[in-house]
Amino acid sequence: MKSIILVAVMLIGIAALSMAMTIGFCVSTLNNPYFVSFTNGAKAEAQLLGINLIVMNANNSNSTQLNQVEDLIQRKVDAIILNPTDSDALVPAVIAANKAGIPVITLDRSVNGGTVAMYIASDNVEYGKLEAQYAAKLLNGSGNVVLLTGIPGASATRDRTKGIMEVLSQYPNIKVVANQTAKFDMATAMSVMESILVAHPDINAVIAENDEMALGAIQAIKAAGRSGIIVIGGDGIPQGIQAVKNGTEAVDIAQQPYKMAALGVSAAFFVVNGINLSPTSLSMPLFPVTKDNVDQWIASGD
Amino acid sequence: MTLSNGFVRKYGVIFGLAGIITFFAIESPNYFFTASNFILISKQSSINILLALGEMFVILTAGIDLSVGAIAGLVGAVAAGTIVATGNLFLGLAAGIGIGIAFGLINGVIVAFAKVPAFIATLATMSAITGITLIYTQGEPIWNLPSSFDFIGQGNLADIPFSIILMALAFVCAWIILDRTKYGRHVYAVGGNIKASRAAGIKISGVLVSVYAISGLLSAIGGIVLASRLGTAEPTAGSGYELDAIAAVVLGGTSLFGGEGWVVGTIIGGYIIAVLNNGMTIMNISSYYQEVVKGLVILLAVMLTSFGKKYWNE
Amino acid sequence: MDILKIDNIKKSFSGVNVLKGINLSIKSGELHAIVGENGAGKSTLMKIIAGELEPDAGKIYLNGKEVQFHSPLDAINSGIALIHQEFSLIPQLTVYENIFLGREISKKFLGINFVDKKKMKREAEDVLKTFGIENIPVDSKIRDLSVANKQLTEIAKALSINSKILIMDEPTAALTLRETEKLFSILANLKSNGVTIIFISHRLEEIFQIADSVTILRNGELIDTKKINEVSIEEIVSMMIGKSMNNRFPPKPVKKIEDKDEFFEIKNLSSDAFKGINFSLRKGEILGIAGLVGCGNTQLAESIYGLRKFTGEIYLEGKKMNISKPTDAIEHGIFLVPEDRHDLGLVLQLSVKENHSLPNLDLFSKVGFVASTIEKKSVRDTIAYLNTKISSINQRVDNLSGGNQQKIVLGKWLVRSPKILILDEPTRGIDVGAKFEIYRFMYEQSSKGVSIILISSELTEVLNLSDRILVMSEGRITGELNPRNATQEDILKLAVKGKES
Repeated sequence: MKSIILVAVMLIGIAALSMAMTIGFCVSTLNNPYFVSFTNGAKAEAQLLGINLIVMNANNSNSTQLNQVEDLIQRKVDAIILNPTDSDALVPAVIAANKAGIPVITLDRSVNGGTVAMYIASDNVEYGKLEAQYAAKLLNGSGNVVLLTGIPGASATRDRTKGIMEVLSQYPNIKVVANQTAKFDMATAMSVMESILVAHPDINAVIAENDEMALGAIQAIKAAGRSGIIVIGGDGIPQGIQAVKNGTEAVDIAQQPYKMAALGVSAAFFVVNGINLSPTSLSMPLFPVTKDNVDQWIASGD
Repeated sequence: MTLSNGFVRKYGVIFGLAGIITFFAIESPNYFFTASNFILISKQSSINILLALGEMFVILTAGIDLSVGAIAGLVGAVAAGTIVATGNLFLGLAAGIGIGIAFGLINGVIVAFAKVPAFIATLATMSAITGITLIYTQGEPIWNLPSSFDFIGQGNLADIPFSIILMALAFVCAWIILDRTKYGRHVYAVGGNIKASRAAGIKISGVLVSVYAISGLLSAIGGIVLASRLGTAEPTAGSGYELDAIAAVVLGGTSLFGGEGWVVGTIIGGYIIAVLNNGMTIMNISSYYQEVVKGLVILLAVMLTSFGKKYWNE
Repeated sequence: MDILKIDNIKKSFSGVNVLKGINLSIKSGELHAIVGENGAGKSTLMKIIAGELEPDAGKIYLNGKEVQFHSPLDAINSGIALIHQEFSLIPQLTVYENIFLGREISKKFLGINFVDKKKMKREAEDVLKTFGIENIPVDSKIRDLSVANKQLTEIAKALSINSKILIMDEPTAALTLRETEKLFSILANLKSNGVTIIFISHRLEEIFQIADSVTILRNGELIDTKKINEVSIEEIVSMMIGKSMNNRFPPKPVKKIEDKDEFFEIKNLSSDAFKGINFSLRKGEILGIAGLVGCGNTQLAESIYGLRKFTGEIYLEGKKMNISKPTDAIEHGIFLVPEDRHDLGLVLQLSVKENHSLPNLDLFSKVGFVASTIEKKSVRDTIAYLNTKISSINQRVDNLSGGNQQKIVLGKWLVRSPKILILDEPTRGIDVGAKFEIYRFMYEQSSKGVSIILISSELTEVLNLSDRILVMSEGRITGELNPRNATQEDILKLAVKGKES
């Protein structure tokens, strides 16, 4: 009899805990290993804390995400973790959540309006700067560089390009011989790089604003039978890390999407429980992964 | 009447391509206008041309296939995934091609029997297939593929890139079928006047189902080449590829209303797109302008063919 | 000997009895005409014979043996071919490809059928030559051919599969006089080769020219079959409409038209299709412009209406007009009822109401919204005035008969109180009853002061209706005739003038 009551109380307790908090998690897309890792991190943390996490995928559509946030507001969730598809378009959603008294946490990208309890992202300007700094170091301050940029108009593209150019402008002997968009896409990067290789027999480095494009550039270089070109990418996706290990990619400015999302969930947990956080924004550290530290990185698991 | 509307439409594209090549040759004689660059352009156009050839079969029947890119993506993923899972290259290729033909047949059956307009039917299958690819890949790319698979998109046969050989084979087969066989005549007839074709005893549904299946098959081959070229099957591969495929077909002079088109024209259309991309990148023209130029060229081409038609019919 | 015997064929559509038990025999090698008003069941009967429809009851005997056709292919394989009014050709393909459509000459190689283009071209040429069809290159595309040549290609297609019975539905509707003559000589040729021809026509004079016998249908019943030399036009007409009609034309109103009523003048109009056209029009006058196809009368009409560029001057009530697009003409009360009502006169997928309103939306709308009650009243009034037979104003126009469609086209312009109506082949392909009503409409309008320019290749029509006739040939006006003392030959003489020089 006693044991039955004990089990019942335990079950009720667990149920209570998990019913205790429902958090909406709006991710911009799931078609990218970065965001897959991101979402996994959130789910893991939510499970640890006994939070009921509602994951919504906006498939890169602003209107879809707006609808999803409104949905969550209707369902009266305890908090909304938002990875906005666009920094401007999602402002009304944040404001609506504010009005409904639901705290908002933004991850990976910011919103340009409304009140946000916590903002965690990698610093994309820093991302670009790191890429360029490593490039400059490996080039010993001089050489021909190709720049492959992301989706035109995206904030990540803007910020990373800004960081890259700021650093490179300090090196008069480094020339950007080609600057083309590859839209963060591997196939596009390969095509574009192939054509660039034709026009420039003397390239020393390629800075790509993410790993997919870096990998595409690596394929192009391989297909053209060229060698000795330093490739720099970012994001830290498994394929990219493997390329660093293989030596085809020199530096991978890894982000930590898993950790970032997990932090976001725990931040939400604190905020809902009435604990005010300070500072209200956190810059996730970026890890430049090179051949020297790649094994450590893999071991640390991300 | 030698200078008929057909002449303008048919041979106009050749002049178009020649004009564009001449322009880039002048702007960049040392890099653009070389044999190795032309081989590169052929390689770069091979995936699009494979898809465009399949698309052409469908457009000739006055239909359209918006799912070619999505099928290419799914097939790349399935082929790669199967190879990784079983270690068997041919099993992977067979699986991929099988999926491509299967979805092509589904498209064909919906259009021919459920009488759903091709635009809507293939838009729907495109969405569904894109979703299936994401589910299958769980959003993660499939990589670490065996080098035997890489050969398709990266290897050479007698110094010619294998993807170019595949494209050439597809072109020859498409040309023979459309120009030289009874079946080919029926494809044109169905697009030209479906009522007359039915009255003449042509099996309309057979023709319709088969052209979509052919499109699925060629999309599958294109998808395999794409995954092989990158050494990776990406979850969103092929997205948007249908636009370039249709553009190549339209640039080549095939009418979207069905019933007329020239296989060589589609090849030329595909080359025009590839040459534009390659030339503008070599000249380091800003990416923003590249999109504008591409759009203008397609607009001009379509205007010329419809203007040509109007002018000669007066 | 009867090559074809129709025994008590019945057919109904959605409860409407279209054929009420037809008994008909066609003799081998004869040219048998079928006449009847629209809705009499002629097309339905032909479609059943040609296998496109299956009868609800009754039998068909071919050469004495009973046959059942479940598809057009069955009929074709039995030697019966139907030449459609809207041709069943593929415009983008060539003549020889169309002739061999569905049965392309091919050689099998590894299981695939490879077409033998050379052989098909040669055989296509042979077929054309055998039946006296000349001047059609077999590798020309159908869409580049004239309407007449398209029809000849269709005939050649039917003949190349050894059709023994050709069924033709309104074969001369889109042909000029010349082309009709040519067609008739080819048909005579076919007859001497043992081909039996059944044809539907509204042009009674033509039937008397070539047919051996004629069958009259009315309301789904076969009224009678007669040898052509044992019957007169009046008798046929009265059998067709079930009452005697002394004349196919309504009584002509007495009009007094004087030169001082002149209000519209064309001065030295030229374009790529005509040169130096001068004429004037008086109030309430019906001016006929006759000529062969290509003479430029249709193009002249298009220019006056603003559809075609021209040089020269147009004066309305003394003021010079600037016409560069149809809206200019419409604003001044000049309207065109075009030759091809399907192409230019109607939007087939839209309803009666919508087609009527299309050019009149400004009259029916306030602040951009269409006032539905005003619109509907206008449609209904016009329908009543013209006696147009429809089941509902929301009915799609492509379901209507040719005559009723034409009334919709005419009706939509009436709303705007026209000053000049240009009618281009207004009664083509329309049954006698509807023609009568359209003639009546024309007379009524002209008595109200509306001037009408009538372009028509039916010479009796031109002679009966016009107050004055101009004849055009090769882009120029070759003469003016007074219909009271002119004959068909007079018109023809002027219509071919200029070709000799």
